[in-house]
Amino acid sequence: MTSTVTSTITFPYQRSLGPVLGRFMTALTHERILGIRCGPRVLCPPSEWDPVTGAALDPDLVEVGPAGTVETWCWVGHPSEQHPHDRPFAFATIRLDGADTALVHTVDVPGPDAMAIGMRVAPRWRAERRGHITDIDAFVPGETAITGGGAGSGSDEDADEPVTMMEYRASITYETPIPANVARAEQAAREGRFLGLRCPTCGRTYDGSRGFCPIDSIELRAEHAVDLPQRGVVANYTIITPVQYPGQTETEPFARVHVLLDGADVVLAYQDLIDVPNDDVRIGMRVAAVWASAAEQGTTSDPRMAQGLVGWMPTGEPDVEDPDLVDRIF
Amino acid sequence: MPTTDPATPATPSDDDIAIIGWSVSPMERRTAKTEAQMLLEVVSGACDDAGITRADVDFTCAGSCDYVAGQAFSFVQNIDAVGAWPPKHDSHVEMDGAWALYEAWVRLLLGDIDVAVAMGSGRSSTADPALIYPMEMDPYLLAPLGTDVLSLAALQAQLLLADGTVTERQMAEIAVRSRSDARTNTHAQVTGDAGADIDALLATEPVRAPLRRHDLPPITDGAAAVVIARRERAEQLCANPVWITGFAHCSELHYPGARDLRRAESARLAAEAAGVGNAPVEVAELHTAFTHEEPLLVEALGLGPEVVVNPSGGPLAANPTMATGLVRIAEAAGQVRDHGRQRALGHATSGPCLQQNLVCVVEGNR
Repeated sequence: MTSTVTSTITFPYQRSLGPVLGRFMTALTHERILGIRCGPRVLCPPSEWDPVTGAALDPDLVEVGPAGTVETWCWVGHPSEQHPHDRPFAFATIRLDGADTALVHTVDVPGPDAMAIGMRVAPRWRAERRGHITDIDAFVPGETAITGGGAGSGSDEDADEPVTMMEYRASITYETPIPANVARAEQAAREGRFLGLRCPTCGRTYDGSRGFCPIDSIELRAEHAVDLPQRGVVANYTIITPVQYPGQTETEPFARVHVLLDGADVVLAYQDLIDVPNDDVRIGMRVAAVWASAAEQGTTSDPRMAQGLVGWMPTGEPDVEDPDLVDRIF
Repeated sequence: MPTTDPATPATPSDDDIAIIGWSVSPMERRTAKTEAQMLLEVVSGACDDAGITRADVDFTCAGSCDYVAGQAFSFVQNIDAVGAWPPKHDSHVEMDGAWALYEAWVRLLLGDIDVAVAMGSGRSSTADPALIYPMEMDPYLLAPLGTDVLSLAALQAQLLLADGTVTERQMAEIAVRSRSDARTNTHAQVTGDAGADIDALLATEPVRAPLRRHDLPPITDGAAAVVIARRERAEQLCANPVWITGFAHCSELHYPGARDLRRAESARLAAEAAGVGNAPVEVAELHTAFTHEEPLLVEALGLGPEVVVNPSGGPLAANPTMATGLVRIAEAAGQVRDHGRQRALGHATSGPCLQQNLVCVVEGNR
């Protein structure tokens, strides 16, 4: 039985809308739907360019709808967490009156029997509108839009600040098998050891979590494992000034160093240095691994410490003078 | 592309490029292998099949997807599989491996190198494909609605049913035929009985009306690799090279509501550019992840009733996202090299509702 690791990746995008979608989204806050003239046709949703020729379009936006005709539909009996409704609904392409292209959106009806190609629908607006495609809660059968009320409905959008940005947040949870080499190397680290893998063909020694010799393209397995020394040399470094993106926990500039372990042919990348001022970090510095005890691993909230290796401390030995050190990557 | 011009006879040229080997991984619902492990095996397999070693390869190109892998720059790890030392020319497409093969083919046409490997790999089992797919759609208008591949395909199926391009019974028959044909394919993940009860299938509840479970592909982990070479090297290495005599791709408009979903115009244009109609096609391996796409593509590619479609079972039997299209081309090449066919085509698609289509025509020795 392969063990797995579960990880959830969140994608908190903030996107600029540009001149055309910005006006489209702004109009949504006022319960209006805009298309753009493209020669004799009107495109809704609008785009900055003629989708056929790529030529830039004049920003000649015109109101369409609010009612329109369903061109095609499908029935979603079991919505996903990313769908805009938590009960069964239809996706549909809807050609709004006055438009020559169709908008992809949802239709809220009790069941698939209430859906048909050619049926007439109109938007039901949300009460809270922010300039987002889901400001239209859903389309519903009929000719008449259902107002959401609230700020902006029916007022003049030119009088307000335009919407220029939109947020989009999705998250995906992955359950990824842990390769045997990774599991072995992680176990060794929890025991305060560095596991390496020695290629039987070329003799190079790699970090023990690696799956292959990248030179010879052969799989490295348990029989190729070797214990590596606890000391090494800083082969390269960078001082990172943290940008406060979501998930960033550092607030002050900090060093990350590449450590070339004694007896190995590859560096351990992006390692923590302990108790070394940023100004003292240098290539050639001799360092030794500092491990968390089993008790510390069990109680720490620091994910790095929990995996065994706390970081690296200077040994006090003379620096290594080797101009080729900096060429070592991964 | 001298050989794709109908006015030009198919005379041998130094610029001719042939498929000289390939390998397709086992197709599984859930593999314990990493993408790099899957690729290591198929690259080794394809090199063995071609009678070369990695040292003979001048250029590599891979197709994979970071959202599928759940990791940024995931393809960098996959380079271990190709043996990138001494340094090779390498590239990557965030597309099906069929487009990696297209890039490799274009690269060899430059004439300065002779051998290339194209790869495709995907491990779809690690997350819910219905949540990954919307991330790759239009970020303003589609992704926020969670428009997944199944819903978008169902929108197209509804139109094709309405205009008579296909019936629900024909869709079920395509599903049964594909999974029955897949019984002879050792790589197939899903197989079925040729005598399956069509009425019973049609009596099942739709998964996403009008699509039923049998209309959908399985979720598959898998990989493939294909080796190509320029004429002189191909003939040195291989007694039966499979020549690529036409290769083209073409795209529809960006937004699915802006085009006529009853047509596959980009597939028609790609087939025309690849010279599909210049000579009879015996077998077509089509990237039809959904049953209703088959009649639409058969019509757009100009294939007559005599053409055998998806004898491997096609994507309805195994659908390794990011490799499905490359597998089609490998299967088409296999029809020529191993099953006595003279001319076959492999098709690949990308994006919602057959948005982008690629056609690769392959032929036997000449």
